[in-house]
Amino acid sequence: MAAVATPVRRTRRTGRGIFGIMFAPVTLLIVLFLAPMLIMVQMSVVRFPPNVASGYVLEHYRTVLTDPINLKIWWTTLYIGSTAMAIMLAIAMPLAYYMVFKAGKWELFILLALVLADELAPVVKIYAWQSILGREGILNWLIPGSPIAWLLFSRFAVIVTLASTYITYTTIPIYAAMKAIDFSMIEAAVDLGAGWWTQARKILIPLAAPGIFIAMILVYIPMLTDFVTADIVGGTGSYMMGQRVRDLILSGGDWGSGAALNFVMLVVSVVASVFAYWLARLNKIDR
Amino acid sequence: MKEGTPPMDGSESGGAIVLERVTKRFGDVTAVNDVEITIESGEFFSLLGPSGCGKTTTLRLIAGFEMPDRGRVLLQGKDVTHLTPQKRNVNMVFQAYGLFPHMTVADNIAFGPKIKKVPNDEIARRVAEILRTVQLEGMEDRRPAQLSGGQQQRVALARSLVNGPAALLLDEPLGALDLKLRKEMQLELKDLQSRTGTTFVYVTHDQEEAMTMSDRIAVMNQGVVEQMATPRELYRRPASAFVAGFIGTSNLITLRVDGREDGLVRMDLGEGERILAPDPEDGAATALITVRPEWIKLALGEVGPRASHVGGTVVDVVYLGSVTQLIVMLRTGERLTVHRLNDEVDGVDPRPGDRVVLHWAAENSFVIGTGLEEPQPGAPADPKPVAKDT
Repeated sequence: MAAVATPVRRTRRTGRGIFGIMFAPVTLLIVLFLAPMLIMVQMSVVRFPPNVASGYVLEHYRTVLTDPINLKIWWTTLYIGSTAMAIMLAIAMPLAYYMVFKAGKWELFILLALVLADELAPVVKIYAWQSILGREGILNWLIPGSPIAWLLFSRFAVIVTLASTYITYTTIPIYAAMKAIDFSMIEAAVDLGAGWWTQARKILIPLAAPGIFIAMILVYIPMLTDFVTADIVGGTGSYMMGQRVRDLILSGGDWGSGAALNFVMLVVSVVASVFAYWLARLNKIDR
Repeated sequence: MKEGTPPMDGSESGGAIVLERVTKRFGDVTAVNDVEITIESGEFFSLLGPSGCGKTTTLRLIAGFEMPDRGRVLLQGKDVTHLTPQKRNVNMVFQAYGLFPHMTVADNIAFGPKIKKVPNDEIARRVAEILRTVQLEGMEDRRPAQLSGGQQQRVALARSLVNGPAALLLDEPLGALDLKLRKEMQLELKDLQSRTGTTFVYVTHDQEEAMTMSDRIAVMNQGVVEQMATPRELYRRPASAFVAGFIGTSNLITLRVDGREDGLVRMDLGEGERILAPDPEDGAATALITVRPEWIKLALGEVGPRASHVGGTVVDVVYLGSVTQLIVMLRTGERLTVHRLNDEVDGVDPRPGDRVVLHWAAENSFVIGTGLEEPQPGAPADPKPVAKDT
């Protein structure tokens, strides 16, 4: 009897529901994400010392973009980040391949291990590397002869530690992309005479490209802003952008330059992300 | 293929492909058990059997994707047992085609020749030629996703054939196509095979498909080859109950030998009814025989002395188009399948419940095996008469 009226009411409710559901996340996004960013942008253009009457200038941007020290730090950061990225890709590609096509029942186990490795607090991992690479560390204890000094407090240490920190975020998108590859394509390539390098170059890498680009976006950005790793295992030659921003703000009290530098890095990251996204789209294939 | 890539002649080595007592196990499962196959050069050879019978594993052993636990694989007389797929002069067409989605049709086809460092102008010539052969001219710049299922199938064939393989290995390549297209592609494949002169090894579970295309068929079951013969031979003279049941529709009858005369064995069913078969001449007390449904006739008059003669009740009538299928229950409780051509104008139109008299020439009872309980050792024979449609 009452069944006739119900459907009408239900339709109305759905119409209102979309806004109801979206209201909370949109508000959170504005309050917690956009607002701090706007404050940062405002900070980067306020004349120093900041107060109500100081007014706005682009001075800070000119400083951070022309300061030769910043340029040098930028190159160091890119060098460390890209080397770590290259190492991670060299590990993640074969690992993802193994997981998807060869691991069988171990696939889930490896996936779980990767996720668990990421669950470990980053600082704990960094200190673990310190005890491995240190002068009295495990590695120097294993290698005969006088202890190798450059293992710790060096670019090498930062690269190794960063690579181990972000390996999960590199592997999983590539794993997901490879999961969509039909194994008969690989077998067809083998059947047509392709060795492992041709298989990788002509089939695997092009087809996993969307995953590779996503991995690079996911990993490059946090790596470029990381300062804890370089603080704990880095040396004088591994001073990174994240440390520079932190030091400008906390040690120098130069909020303007710190915010400006941060905003420049944000723009670079966004541009790089859009480019990577565009590349990924370009490589997306109708299957 | 054409002038540039002549088919290799493996005749002097006793076959293009030879499997010598090949066994392959996966854990506890013996997928291929002591298989012995010789495939002649230029032959259209099919591996036929139900799923899990080992036919695909056999094909993959030839391609090199699996290594046998025992036995040898020879290609054109050369032992390739331990060679990787890259080093074997055979090419495979996969069930899912395995086309490279990010490459054009032309790049897909050129993949093999490029790896073999064939000069670019030669590659272009071969690609154009093979596209003509598989009737895909003008499609070279398309991506696989822009092609129909049948066209994708042809690209997969072209990609393999362009390498001029000693044999083309096809793993249920028509499985993804609808029935009408599949029938067309069957004829096209057969035509392609005879035009190129390439040895085809074709895996299928569809007996009709295998019968349509093959020069010879190996019927496989549970990892062993039950019979290897021409389609005609398989149909007329099945070597086991399994083959009889798998190829076409067949009646299997366990014949109790009640008498022998004139080169025939006889089972008496009472009231003059009898089933006759050629005498296997080994003195066994029983014989497993197979009778094709179309060889059994409805008796309208006298039945000759050299013919089986049984009465029964029609339990089912199925109209199949060109034939009508009758299921007739004998007085012993056994059921026979009978096919009657629908062009017969004898005025007899049996209905369920009708009494009929059946007869067939003794020579049309084909003896599969003899013995007591298990007529054909190794064969999973159902000793009762069965009519099995495949």
